[in-house]
Amino acid sequence: MATKVVMEALSPTMEEGRLVEWKKNEGDAVAVGDVLAEVETDKAVMELVARAAGTLIKQSVAAGSTVPVAATVAWIGSAGEAVPGGGTAAGGPAAGVDAAAAQPAAPPAPAAATPPTPQQPAPAAVELPAVPPSAPAGRIKASPLARRIAAETGIDLGGVSGSGPEGRIIKRDLDQLATVGPGEPRPPERAPRQRAEGGAAYADVTLTPMRKTIAKRLVQSIGPIPTFYLTAEADMERASDAREALVARDESGKFSFNDFIILAAATALHQHPWVNAWWMEDKVRQWHEVHIGVAVAVDEGLITPVIRNADQKSLREIAAEVRELAGRARERKLKPEEYTGATFSISNLGMFGIDEFTAVINPPEAAILAIGRIEPKPVVVDGEVRVRRRMRITMSCDHRVVDGATGAAFLKTLVEMLEYPLALVW
Amino acid sequence: MTRPLDVVDLGCRPYREVLELQRALRLGRLDGTVPNDLLLLVEHEPVFTLGRGTHQASLPMPAEQLRARGADVVEIERGGDVTWHGPGQLVGYPILHLSHLREDLHWYLRTLEQALIDGLAGLDIMAGRNAGKTGVWTNGRKVASIGVHVKQWVTLHGFALNVQPDLSWFDLIVPCGIHGVEMTSIRRELDSRETDAALWHRTLATVTEAFGRAFARQPRRLLAVAELPLYPSHHG
Repeated sequence: MATKVVMEALSPTMEEGRLVEWKKNEGDAVAVGDVLAEVETDKAVMELVARAAGTLIKQSVAAGSTVPVAATVAWIGSAGEAVPGGGTAAGGPAAGVDAAAAQPAAPPAPAAATPPTPQQPAPAAVELPAVPPSAPAGRIKASPLARRIAAETGIDLGGVSGSGPEGRIIKRDLDQLATVGPGEPRPPERAPRQRAEGGAAYADVTLTPMRKTIAKRLVQSIGPIPTFYLTAEADMERASDAREALVARDESGKFSFNDFIILAAATALHQHPWVNAWWMEDKVRQWHEVHIGVAVAVDEGLITPVIRNADQKSLREIAAEVRELAGRARERKLKPEEYTGATFSISNLGMFGIDEFTAVINPPEAAILAIGRIEPKPVVVDGEVRVRRRMRITMSCDHRVVDGATGAAFLKTLVEMLEYPLALVW
Repeated sequence: MTRPLDVVDLGCRPYREVLELQRALRLGRLDGTVPNDLLLLVEHEPVFTLGRGTHQASLPMPAEQLRARGADVVEIERGGDVTWHGPGQLVGYPILHLSHLREDLHWYLRTLEQALIDGLAGLDIMAGRNAGKTGVWTNGRKVASIGVHVKQWVTLHGFALNVQPDLSWFDLIVPCGIHGVEMTSIRRELDSRETDAALWHRTLATVTEAFGRAFARQPRRLLAVAELPLYPSHHG
């Protein structure tokens, strides 16, 4: 009975690997632990090691090919043995994954991301269906990946029976626990009762690098940063009228309220260096330049492209730049320098119907604005109740840099600029 | 308690000699004769190294012509395409047992990048990653390259940080196989008036510290390779 050798996940985020060089040729004898091939992922080369002994009877992929994780790359068996299912591996049980191996553009196997469905082989390191599991005597045998999954999910490996070589517990055994539970015999191959998402109680989603960065950055923020919040309401009547008039006059002059808020904030920041600042542990850097980070929602996260020197730009320039950067942000085509280096940030959830909210500071920046929606409200003007378009602004401040009065002074300037747009050109 | 990291400043040494040293140290790290994780820091004589991912097109000039310009050309086992090392570039070879950290290649690459990004931040250079292009970038230019090899979860090769090299060496190749990439150096980004020696030592100290922090290791400076427990008679 021949054993498959698969492309191993050398990292939970690895989706494919390039088989750089075969270290064993077809027909070579192979011992457990022998280096079969070298695999490159990203800029790292690592060795693919034999998990079974015998003869390398088939190399299923050529050196230089890029192969998704869990795809079959070779077979180990006894000398002269044929690959299961015929002379080539392509007709055998691994046909599906081999086909994937031949098309690097095919979506890679979602290693460690989703519980396996019965139709889909689990991305186990090596499958050895013919070897009967031998009972582990005292010490539990498990692959490093299985140990890590067990540690992360709290599974007791003592209660798991292994299906790897010599009863070694491999990832597949743990994946099955998600649907079977420890101790129970494995169910026969039959279609499970239909439930959303294939019947699993939950789905574990591998963290994308962006998700990890968001988590890291936000924990950095909400943990050690002593944040306080200031809220003000701006009357947007004049700004709304001015915007309507501009748009009516010239369709090409279209801009959003957010573009106007960026310009107003940038102009106000110029007068408030303590708010346009970075906390740098041993010092505060007050920026003379104003670079505004604008939070843009993208699939699976957010990114803040930076409008550089926003205080030096016209409303028209800001509008064009925001549109261009946000478009590329959604396509994930921003260069690092286009989303780093902001001195202050603005997050606007008005278009989502949010009245007001608080935003999380992007360290090392000292403050961030959270903009709510513009909404007609009854307010008292000159002793009379009138309906006016109003907008709530909340600023999160790092108290190590910005004090209450400092923040309030900045907000006052900002609200004045929003309420009297001519102040921006004064 | 934080585990120690033995840091050895090898000074200026030829590439092939340090490659042998790395390989010996990795064996020692694997069999336990080298008890601690290591970071070798070195400045090489000019050399072009060809990683496993080297494309024909990355070497527009035949190896003999590169040699004629006074550089060595070596084919090696690390990942990645062609690159250059030489005077003014700080090369770091971490020999880490990833089983004590994380058995995760991408984590290793990303942490290596983080160490360099943090180190550069300590020099007031804002650097970052370029998705899909391993290495460290600042203002769209590449300031550090990374290429590693891992055997039984012990690492070899590492990073090359341009402190103040003659960047025209990179014009002879397509660095890392990325067409149109512009290489830069700390000196160029900082535009500082420090002496070469001052900038070199400041970089070395900052990077060592950031490296220790990124990998949760306590750096200890060793004076020489001879201080390492294993190292037998040094080659030459």
